Amino acid sequence: MSAWGFYVATLLIYFAVDLLSGIALNLQFGYAGVVNFGYIVFQAVGAYVAAVVTLGPSLGAGSYQQYILGAHLPFPLDLLAATAAGALLSLLVGLFSLRRMRRDYQAAVLLIVSLIALQVVSADVPLFNGSNGLTGVGWPLGQLFGVTATQSPWLYTVWSLVVVAVVFVGVSWLSRSPWGRSLRAMRDNQGAASAMGLNITSLRLQVFVIGGAIAGLSGGLLVEYIGAWSPGAWGYAETFVIFTAIFVGGVGNYRGVVLGVLLVPVIFLEIPRFLPAIGYPGLTASLEWVVIGLAWMLCIFFRPRGILPERRLHVTPPGALEPGALQPEAAPR
Amino acid sequence: MSAAGQGQNLTFATDREGTSAKPENQGQPVLVAKDVVVDYGGVHAVNRVSLSVAAGEVLGIIGPNGAGKSSFLAALGGQVRRASGTISLDGHEVSGLLPHQRARLGLARTFQTTSEFSRMTVFENLVTAAEGDTGSSLKAVVLHPRRTAQREQELVSHAWEVLERFEMTQVANLYGGELSGGQRRLVEIMRCLMRRPKVLLLDEPMVGVAPHLTGKLISDLRGISRDGLAIVVVEHAMEVVRKLCDRVMVMAFGEVIASGTFEEVAQDATVQSAYLS
Amino acid sequence: MPGQLLSSVADGIVVAAILSVAAMGFTLQFGLTNVLNLSFGSVMTIGGFTAYLLEAARVNPWLGLLLGGAAGAVATVVLGRGVLRQYARRRTQLFEMMMVTLGMSLVIDYSIQAISQNSIYSYTVLQAAPVHLGSIVLTPVQVGIVILAIVILVVAEAALKFTKMGKALRATAVEPSLARSCGIQTGRVVLITWLASGFLCGLAGVVYIISTQSVDYTTGELFLPLIIAAAILGGVGSLKGAVGASLVIGIVTEVVAGLGAGGYSTVAGFAILVVVLLLRPGAVIAGDEDRQLVL
Repeated sequence: MSAWGFYVATLLIYFAVDLLSGIALNLQFGYAGVVNFGYIVFQAVGAYVAAVVTLGPSLGAGSYQQYILGAHLPFPLDLLAATAAGALLSLLVGLFSLRRMRRDYQAAVLLIVSLIALQVVSADVPLFNGSNGLTGVGWPLGQLFGVTATQSPWLYTVWSLVVVAVVFVGVSWLSRSPWGRSLRAMRDNQGAASAMGLNITSLRLQVFVIGGAIAGLSGGLLVEYIGAWSPGAWGYAETFVIFTAIFVGGVGNYRGVVLGVLLVPVIFLEIPRFLPAIGYPGLTASLEWVVIGLAWMLCIFFRPRGILPERRLHVTPPGALEPGALQPEAAPR
Repeated sequence: MSAAGQGQNLTFATDREGTSAKPENQGQPVLVAKDVVVDYGGVHAVNRVSLSVAAGEVLGIIGPNGAGKSSFLAALGGQVRRASGTISLDGHEVSGLLPHQRARLGLARTFQTTSEFSRMTVFENLVTAAEGDTGSSLKAVVLHPRRTAQREQELVSHAWEVLERFEMTQVANLYGGELSGGQRRLVEIMRCLMRRPKVLLLDEPMVGVAPHLTGKLISDLRGISRDGLAIVVVEHAMEVVRKLCDRVMVMAFGEVIASGTFEEVAQDATVQSAYLS
Repeated sequence: MPGQLLSSVADGIVVAAILSVAAMGFTLQFGLTNVLNLSFGSVMTIGGFTAYLLEAARVNPWLGLLLGGAAGAVATVVLGRGVLRQYARRRTQLFEMMMVTLGMSLVIDYSIQAISQNSIYSYTVLQAAPVHLGSIVLTPVQVGIVILAIVILVVAEAALKFTKMGKALRATAVEPSLARSCGIQTGRVVLITWLASGFLCGLAGVVYIISTQSVDYTTGELFLPLIIAAAILGGVGSLKGAVGASLVIGIVTEVVAGLGAGGYSTVAGFAILVVVLLLRPGAVIAGDEDRQLVL
């Protein structure tokens, strides 16, 4: 396999993982108006859990890495465990952070969760090997066919694209359903939505947990390819890359999210690789974050609905060809 | 306002006559509040206010700004917590319930600042409102897709009927945020009606509604109330109150200072001084 | 063991003093403007780095302390006037404003990371031999920090109570539109608040790095959760509340650290915030719709 082929396959896998995050955040933010500033924590827990349930039993304090829950689970239990971990942690965090609290407090609490979780995991070595993190994670699905992810990155690419396609179809179907419409009502006006009989607390918790499950899955998918996971991979700022992608691509439109994820985390963050190196090593990485921060601020300033904004559902009067059906408008306005 | 009001006097007279022949189920109180108190940081915004509204009855609440009218409605709807007092809705004690639980028991309301779902079409606004109880159920959507689709069809035709009744079909596909102030008020009212409520709370429903529509809206509301709906309306325009309400309650400084028919209240000296002061 | 506990409590009071300087600034700003300012930690880092650079240029450390505070004040005014007010002009909602401050925080933190070459710089000034009081060991600087915090509390409380500007500030915080119609120039009130809270923020940054003896681009960001916890726990807008909450958080975190669970000391502070949010929902429910932006 050529280096280029390997590179392209890797990019496609990153694209799939980031797209899962984009879908989860778009459901939470674009549809339900829940601002999850701690998103990356739920991806991280999925990655850690997928790692420890495939690494086998920990060899304990003396070995080069120590962790909890060591096991050799076969496919698909590894990814199911990752998904469940994301959902469970979301449920716990959601139960206290999504109460009837001011929205800015809510968002701040989630950001704080993200900062604190990073400190705890870095400091607590017996949990997930502290700041050194875990390495040597394998790919249980590939083992069934006797291949590893690095040997056959294209196989892994196909696999991750299949996963993301299933999630894409499922979540966009849910979002179009009456349930998705209730989410949009809640987003537009919480007071009125609850006066119309919508249980706001429960709806918020539902999107939070579904998003958390997808986050956990994305973490599992990522760690089984790159084989390692450490606190360096999930700084609080990572969440805002995905948010920026949604703003750019289109809030409330899953096709827009695909575009945004392609443009921001994949293309934009890969550009520096092809530019001549400037300054000391790591300078470009810092500057990239500065640009993400600026893009984020510009997004809020100009309030774009993105390149592909949310689509309006048109109703045709009863008696027309398809009576009373709600359909997406033909062309974006 | 007054010119349009005079033009409507005739309709108004026939409406009042119409109410004299009441159906059997009327006269039963559906919404009863006793000694409701709402505190904002130690100040009584609402101080021991009681009311009782029957099916088929329209009760108006008037009073100067800051009298506590909207706070009282919020206490009825569950948007603010009452400090003490009881509220019963259709025989259920609801004072401890959350807004959505009261809504599911048959309470619908509009808000002083318009609260349309701004990035949903008018049609979606209506359908969502009716679906409040079931639409929030992920289980129903996932496990019973056919039943959900069927219900959706029913709601779509119901919504279309409501739109036709209020002559709003031409804006069905506009976003809530694209409407005029008056149209938003109408959307809120239509949304409430989609829920087929037992009690309807309206907070200044006529603000921004075009004068030629006011008369029509009044007769619509009276018509709806005759079908067995209890309506509580907070309103500033006296002409509207006079035509719309069977009874009027006057609030000032968080307390009820008078109640009775519009004519009785209008002659009350306390009320006049409250408005003049 | 009691000696150990006593020394943990003493350490906790020192942490509380540092925290309360920051929390007083935060709560003052938040109480008036209603913007939950997530860039507060980044401004602290600016204050810290300013003091570090001055120290490198052999400026007197006490002057460095003051100038670090001044840098915080300038940065806060620039961000407030230059950024937040521009957003307010475009009718940005209260909630979106918090997202803007987050963006500012990303830009500042990573600019500092770029300039500082992502390194940790040691900052050792004003170090003197520690004083032993039984089992309590304190350096003169730590005692100084505690005194500084008390002085700031007294001066700020007095300024709020007795000066014309202080009264105007309290009036604006409670009822901005009323204050405006009473002829209070709210623009000036906000400017003064930004200067004062920014100064406290920068000062806290310097005091913090004096205590930790190092500075890097994450300095303020890691301290921010505790500042927010102290401000919310103490009741937004209340200086005495912020100091009281800082004492609780400072002592709890140090006692936990003293018990040998160092990595969990910050978590303990956060746990207090969670308990507060769970037990006193009434304190934080107040609808965001009622609050207005004051910029």
